[in-house]
Amino acid sequence: MTQQQTKVFTIGETIAVLYQRRHVVLWTILAALILVLGIVTLVAGKLGIGMGDIIALFGGESSPTATFVLENLRGPRLLVAILAGAAFGLSGALFQTVTRNPLGSPDVLGLAAGAGAGVAVVSLFPTGLPTPIGALAGAGVAIGLVAIATGSGFTSPSRVILAGIAVAAMATAITQFVVTATLRDEASRLAAYLVGSLNARDLGHAGLICLALLIALPLLIVLNPRLQLMELGDELATSLGGKATTTRTWAIVASLMLAAMAVAVAGPIAFIALMSPHAARMLTRSTGPNLVTSALVGAVLLVLADLSVQQLPVLDGLPVGIITAGFGGIFLGYLLLREFRKGHA
Amino acid sequence: MTYNLLAARGLTVGYGATPVIHDLDFDVPQGRFTAIVGPNGCGKSTLVKSLARVLATEPGMVTLDGKHVQAYRPRRLAQRVALLPQHPTVPEGVTVRGLVARGRYPYHGALRQWSPQDTPAIDQALNDTGLTELADMPVAALSGGQRQRAWLAMVLAQQTDYVLLDEPTSFLDIAHQVDVLRLCRNISNQGRTVVAVLHDLNQAARYADDLVVMRDGAIVAHGRSDTTLTSSLVSDVFGLDSMIGVDPCSGTPMVVPVAD
Ligand SMILES: Nc1ncnc2c1ncn2[C@@H]1O[C@H](COP(=O)(O)OP(=O)(O)O)[C@@H](O)[C@H]1O
Ligand SMILES: [Mg+2]
Repeated sequence: MTQQQTKVFTIGETIAVLYQRRHVVLWTILAALILVLGIVTLVAGKLGIGMGDIIALFGGESSPTATFVLENLRGPRLLVAILAGAAFGLSGALFQTVTRNPLGSPDVLGLAAGAGAGVAVVSLFPTGLPTPIGALAGAGVAIGLVAIATGSGFTSPSRVILAGIAVAAMATAITQFVVTATLRDEASRLAAYLVGSLNARDLGHAGLICLALLIALPLLIVLNPRLQLMELGDELATSLGGKATTTRTWAIVASLMLAAMAVAVAGPIAFIALMSPHAARMLTRSTGPNLVTSALVGAVLLVLADLSVQQLPVLDGLPVGIITAGFGGIFLGYLLLREFRKGHA
Repeated sequence: MTYNLLAARGLTVGYGATPVIHDLDFDVPQGRFTAIVGPNGCGKSTLVKSLARVLATEPGMVTLDGKHVQAYRPRRLAQRVALLPQHPTVPEGVTVRGLVARGRYPYHGALRQWSPQDTPAIDQALNDTGLTELADMPVAALSGGQRQRAWLAMVLAQQTDYVLLDEPTSFLDIAHQVDVLRLCRNISNQGRTVVAVLHDLNQAARYADDLVVMRDGAIVAHGRSDTTLTSSLVSDVFGLDSMIGVDPCSGTPMVVPVAD
């Protein structure tokens, strides 16, 4: 039997947070894992920074090459992997909780497809608008279309999913058209973006996704207990003062904002949003939104996937999105099987 | 307007174009145990959901202490009125104590997920429902009767003046139905107001103080449970030919279908 002793952490009269000790232990382990994987990412391979330089970084004195690699090559890439992974994880956890759909993720909204179309369209302009702007605009238009098409915003999960499929199909058509119409080298650059790649990220990318997480944070703190109530069903949640409809709308807004920003900086990296909440539930063995755990798991998964494409010879140079899509596909198959067995799907 | 009262005035609610309930007035009898009865689909659930502000009510209104319920902050209202819906969802893996603890949400704040009164309120609710021993069990492992008591414990932990229960006895065997009805009596004896949607007319007449009889979204009779049931009312509302006998234990009215 899972005995989960809930503890209270209080600061004065106004702040009281409930937590379970095993969750805190788990978070510490996941954070340590991110740290270790991060250090390996920095030191491994040809251009790796020496361990000595890593230690020196905290002291201040390090070699110019190390500084260059850290500030321009691997550092920003690592930061983007951590932050975008966390954003994907949060996004999936929010989405699955409020749609009560274990197979749901912002991908079903056509968000990623929209971002892809946005990037494709932007690449047609010779002036060279930055890729993230195109992705963000595309994702925004896709979400907007979904919200309009449902006729009821994001309040009805099934309508949202249906509209999302339609919008995704349109976006993919646009992307296909641009890919076939553009010049060859432009098309291959586009192809790399469309599966999601962390190549050549800079601090601007990291700053963007960091900003998105900071904006989402206060909203998530307020939403978290209400999301827990939503598990009781909308009627009971509302009668307890949890405002189910408002909570659902804001959770979807936060989920989409995080996913759109993550897609903008890292490309439409598949399945992290879908997988992280499941892995989090397995690890915590508790239901509920599991927001913190999902964010940490998302970061671990993306850093690990990106480390493998950087260092494993067989995967050399592949966009990280291919790895996550591969493992994610297998995981999705497993989830489907499990749902079939339970007789839900 | 009467004060210190939960009441509906000119209530009109529905789910689409045509309202289910049209222009209904209802004063919830205070400190008593009221049973709502009526045929399937006549609007019983719609009424109790409106009283708890789960459904928006325009036009018409529900008032508490003379103030429109829409004017209350949601948590403030939830400290006064509790609703156990017909089909609540048990969160996967939750323990009895964990479920009951969710009833304390109205007393929390944006950054305060706990209040010092939580533990005594939860312990009291578990004790009142006889679940103290089972507090650390997963709800999924309970029997139907025990699970229903766990839900009742959750709304008790909410510590409201009004406790609205939608079909709390459905799907239970007779012993557990009686168990829940006795619990409702006890709750109302503590001075709280209980409104329960029930299906069994005889149980309603025996355990409730008052009876509200609904048909087609309207209240067709409302009175003391020992005087309200008549064979013409049962024939009107349920289309059933019956005789009214006397419960051999309690002396309350008992509906018996006539021989066919
Ligand atoms: N969510 C809903 N959407 C549409 N119609 C509904 C909904 N809930 C109930 N109804 C309809 O409203 C009427 C009254 O329902 P309800 O209040 O649940 O009746 P009761 O609880 O007395 O069986 C029924 O005709 C039912 O079909
Ligand atoms: Mg009903």
